[in-house]
Amino acid sequence: MITEDITNKKVLSKGNYAIAKASILAGCDCYFGYPITPQSEIGEYMSGKMQELGRAYVSAESELAAISMTLGACSTGVKAMTSSSSCAVALMQETLSYATADELPLVLISVMRGGPGLGNIYPSQGDYFQATKGGGNGDYKLIVLAPSNVQECVDLTYKAFHLAHKYRNPTVLLADGLLGQMMEPVEFKPYPYAEIDNSDWALTGAKNRKSRVIRSYAPLADNQCKFVEKLFEKYKTIEENETEWEEMGTEDADIILVSFGSTSRNVKTAMKLCREKGLKVGFFRPITLFPFPNKRLNELASKVKKFITVEVNMGQMINDVKLAVNGKASVELIHKAVGAPPSPEEIQSQVEELI
Amino acid sequence: MATQVFKIPKSLKENMKYSFCPGCDHGVAVRLVAEVLDELDIQDRSVLIASIGCSVTAYDFLDVDSVEAPHGRALAVGTGVKRAKPNQVVFSYQGDGDFASIGLAESLHAALRGEKLTAICINNTTYGMTGGQLGPTTLLGQKTTTSTMGRNVEYYGYPIKIAEHVALCDGTAYAARVSLDTVANIRKAKQAIKKAFEVQLNGLGFGFVEILATCPTNWRMTPEQAHERVRKEMMKHYVPGVYKDITETK
Repeated sequence: MITEDITNKKVLSKGNYAIAKASILAGCDCYFGYPITPQSEIGEYMSGKMQELGRAYVSAESELAAISMTLGACSTGVKAMTSSSSCAVALMQETLSYATADELPLVLISVMRGGPGLGNIYPSQGDYFQATKGGGNGDYKLIVLAPSNVQECVDLTYKAFHLAHKYRNPTVLLADGLLGQMMEPVEFKPYPYAEIDNSDWALTGAKNRKSRVIRSYAPLADNQCKFVEKLFEKYKTIEENETEWEEMGTEDADIILVSFGSTSRNVKTAMKLCREKGLKVGFFRPITLFPFPNKRLNELASKVKKFITVEVNMGQMINDVKLAVNGKASVELIHKAVGAPPSPEEIQSQVEELI
Repeated sequence: MATQVFKIPKSLKENMKYSFCPGCDHGVAVRLVAEVLDELDIQDRSVLIASIGCSVTAYDFLDVDSVEAPHGRALAVGTGVKRAKPNQVVFSYQGDGDFASIGLAESLHAALRGEKLTAICINNTTYGMTGGQLGPTTLLGQKTTTSTMGRNVEYYGYPIKIAEHVALCDGTAYAARVSLDTVANIRKAKQAIKKAFEVQLNGLGFGFVEILATCPTNWRMTPEQAHERVRKEMMKHYVPGVYKDITETK
């Protein structure tokens, strides 16, 4: 147990360092990574700290290798993670699909930047689809957690390790360049979750037991059908137990603003500005992007006229909101493609235009 | 009294179903690995990294904990296992396409880092599982389904000499090329595989064996003709031998 970073008072920390420190406190045994802005501080911090603690750190030759090393470490049951950003997370999609099929507790920190292509290093939410729909092959889901401030970068990193091991499913902490680079007061409490026993599946050498094979290759069609159906039973359980969101002012709202991650901060302020003007506006923030809070949004759709999603992309989460609302209310979009989120005032004036 | 002189290695699974083509050298290679695991008494602390291609089925035969790597990533996955559990014996069983084409970066970087891993690479000069296409080791002049007029340098470039490349890496402790065409060579192959495990067990670095092997199905040959080809064509370009052994005293 590492105690030196546990703080009983708030300290100032950059988002990327907060994520790295939280990983250490969560008991991350192995880190594998390849640098990319705007998340390089995570690897930099881990390189020193992991060596100091006698844990594993490898500066991988590529993101393909980094996530495959993480897969290998996870197969032994330890806590292992990698971190990356956008165009490089794109390189990791194949292994994410494998890790899902292998039911491995892999943790990926994804700090979004501008795309497509090399894009730029400004903040963005352009990888909502990449994280929640995936670029890997086959039917699978990743658990996706979206922090909106540096404290949540810590709390949800803890949760990412917990959920990954609880469900044996790759889990993504989906942050962005704004959260990664900003400094905020943050408290590092001890890892709050109980350790999960993995002795019934981890590869530790077949000593006094039968050998185990962690594989995705299923040459027979029937076996593959059964396996994928079993996987989706698990996703159903995750949806029932782990869906998390924040809502405010939704009781009497005519319009609900829906936003996730760093963008949601300005949206919350915009909602308050709208309220000051007498507009009945509510605020809704999915914290888990998978599982997505479909049920709650559908309930709210019976009571409100309109949802407006606010995103820093060309409109990605809006698709999930539309599916959740299922035609019960109209769904509009306020957005910009890449960069810092629109200001509360900009959002407020666009809300007024959409009414 | 009768003495048992030959038996199935205990590191092979019971009731396994043989799934390689008739005359394919994979079966011999997998058996040699099993014999070495037995002799070194490391079966119960070994982890096999299975790769993509015919080699993936190694986990259907070898009775050890196994994890499957995405295509080409075997030695990255192996690095992850070994760094997480340094006391485990970790080895990959790969084809030449996995090791030296799609996975060349992972393979050479594992060797450069001096990972305490053992890699067994089957070189049969073709992509076997997908039906005999041109691979990184396809010889000049060789006809495959994607080099129907024979490999020429203008279109396809040169074949790679894997063991020589691995031997150039500073982290490599042992690199050898062997063949399975005669009993004598099979014996040599087993010694090489053993050595490649021993350098790992002794913490010396990366251990590597390239095994020249037949693919009668895709070569459109009988097993005898295939072994003849190994001798007449492959061994001329891919010369068997030990290319690096840091345990050798000079």
